[in-house]
Amino acid sequence: MKLSLIRRERLFASALTGPALFIVAVFAFYPILFSFYLSLHRIVLGLPSLGQPFVGFENYRELFQDRIALRSLTNTLIFVFSTISCELLFGLGIALIINRSFRARGLVRAAVLVPWAIPTVVSSQMWRFIYNDKYGLLNFLLFGAAESRYRAWLADPFFAFLGIIVADVWKASSFAALLILAGLQTIPDDLYEAARIDGASAWQQFRRITLPMVKPAILVALLFRTMDAFRVFDLVYVMTQGGPADSTNVLQFYGYKKIFAEGLMGYGSTISVLVFLITLTLAVFYIRLVGTRLFREQA
Amino acid sequence: MAIRSARPKPRRQRTAGRGVCLAITIIMVLSLTMLAGCPGKKESDVMTIRFVTWKPNQPEAWEEILRIFHEENPGIRIEREIGPHSSTAFHDLLTQKLKNRSRDVDVFFMDVIWPAEFAAAGWAMPLDDFIAAQEREKFLEGAILANTFENRLYGIPLFVDSGMLYYRKDLLKQYGFKPPVTWQEMADISGKIVIKESKKGRYIYGFSGQFKQYEGLVCGMMEYILSNNGMLVDREKGVSAVTGKPAIEAVRFVRDRIIGGAAPVGVLAYQEPESLDLFIQGKAVFHRNWPYAWQIANDPQRSTIAGNVGIAKLPHFPAGKSYAALGGWQLGISSYSEHKEAAWKFVQFLASDRIQKLLAVRSGKAPTRKALYDDPEVLKANPHFRDMKDVFLSAYPRPVTPLYPALSNILQRYFSTVISDRQSDIAGEAENASREMNKLLSMTQ
Repeated sequence: MKLSLIRRERLFASALTGPALFIVAVFAFYPILFSFYLSLHRIVLGLPSLGQPFVGFENYRELFQDRIALRSLTNTLIFVFSTISCELLFGLGIALIINRSFRARGLVRAAVLVPWAIPTVVSSQMWRFIYNDKYGLLNFLLFGAAESRYRAWLADPFFAFLGIIVADVWKASSFAALLILAGLQTIPDDLYEAARIDGASAWQQFRRITLPMVKPAILVALLFRTMDAFRVFDLVYVMTQGGPADSTNVLQFYGYKKIFAEGLMGYGSTISVLVFLITLTLAVFYIRLVGTRLFREQA
Repeated sequence: MAIRSARPKPRRQRTAGRGVCLAITIIMVLSLTMLAGCPGKKESDVMTIRFVTWKPNQPEAWEEILRIFHEENPGIRIEREIGPHSSTAFHDLLTQKLKNRSRDVDVFFMDVIWPAEFAAAGWAMPLDDFIAAQEREKFLEGAILANTFENRLYGIPLFVDSGMLYYRKDLLKQYGFKPPVTWQEMADISGKIVIKESKKGRYIYGFSGQFKQYEGLVCGMMEYILSNNGMLVDREKGVSAVTGKPAIEAVRFVRDRIIGGAAPVGVLAYQEPESLDLFIQGKAVFHRNWPYAWQIANDPQRSTIAGNVGIAKLPHFPAGKSYAALGGWQLGISSYSEHKEAAWKFVQFLASDRIQKLLAVRSGKAPTRKALYDDPEVLKANPHFRDMKDVFLSAYPRPVTPLYPALSNILQRYFSTVISDRQSDIAGEAENASREMNKLLSMTQ
């Protein structure tokens, strides 16, 4: 039997995408569905005698009344908002600098990526030392040898939270810079040349050429960073364990504690599902935004 | 555009394909060799007891113990499975096995906060039929209490840890103070010494302890509360007691006189190592820690105060008496074990006088049998045990419930919240915590 060209092409296409789809199904869809299944049950690892009764949306109802969950959601939102705005701003700045040609540019570009290359657990540990109240670098920079004025940054609810934000911005700005740099490089030089001939100032060039042209890249960076920031975990795990006074407790860490430390599989899964739904919504929203832009440009 | 230019080039694809083929081949070859390497089960009269343990600090002592056991019990072979050193990771490994009703576990170690969980889950078997009441009385009371769940015994304590007060012998002597008996005294003495030292240009703190939001915070705060006649969970009624007056008073004392008073505010971010650092650098007059700190504080290589360290019972409030949080490790037997009698023989052997003595002498573990604290050989190897006997006798377990980890998280949050802020509403937060605790505790009834 001879297949038409189009059917052969389709078959070939599904043969190519099949393995990838299979892997996504096993490692993404299945765990998500299973988390959802778990979130509809009351499962307490320490009390097998309770069984695993189906409780419908009881866990969700409880979650919306859980003041600690609400607090950690607020913390997460503040964290996401403040880190993303700083990271995009710094990322843009760094990208603009390393997009110019100067001596040892290759070296600087590589150096900018170093924070991103360090595993978060390692950099969190490093920041923990920097913030230390007795031998931390930060205290030394601020107060020098005046040990009596040294502050315990991670012992203060406000500064501990600020501390993890700074650590995240330090690490992820270079990632944003990388994506934005890629965007900057697609801007043709003749645009700037024409602008210069027309007498546009540097600021006007930036406003009218750079910013609009680099916007899609910024949106991509925004998408990745938001989703990543929403799932912040390792910084908190290493630096503060959610304390002091629960000030650095974020959703992912709260869910982790519920499942792995407290053995509340059902309730913990509910938190995971919530985090998933939020990131999914954000992703869909951004992708539509980026997608329409790309589409418009292509047309 | 960043997205569109990401299309991979054909050549890259080919090498990637080759890489995958190679990886698959390697995996297949490896799995074949692993299958071939699996030993077949041997038929023999020797009964194998599988013992899940961690990597000991003094491996020779354990080699010796197993050698003695094998010599005396030729019919039983002990096979050790060495788990991770961290308590949490060890808990993950062990519960994974027990959840699956693994036959590979006969005897296992339990951290002091696990027996209730293991009992309720049906993983650890009750040992009451094995051990007579009068034998039980020879053990430290707190250690037995920690292994008792719903009036049955699920573990035999092998050695204990407990909170204790370390102090600078030299400083106290120099300024004419005795080790403090009450917390107020401790705060007063440390305040006076700190001022006098600062006049000489030496800036030190009065106290260092562990007040980060983590498990150790529950241990520490429990010591304050119990020593004011308070409780975390009412033992008879099984409900929260953190709203009780003694508990509130104790917490308020910590907030007002310890954090940012006797101790630097930084202790709110301290676990054991950081707080010990402060002490061994000579920067604190008093220090709360577990017994392991004794050797480090007296090691001239690591400590600037070696030889000047004293130990005492933790202070208490005027109305109460001294209490120390109990730590340590117990032996349990799996409900799924096929050789329970032989497993008990091994547990009994390990917990016996002579083996506990050997562990105390050779690896400095604090025994659970009261009599050993008067044993000359044990005291010769560990002179500080003489002073610590009282501490161990007063050691008290954390609430015994199968949902302890969840309970602990509520308590950690509560304590951390109220002691991190001078203006905190202790009574209100205690109400909140209490409500959550009771909800949790009611699940087990």
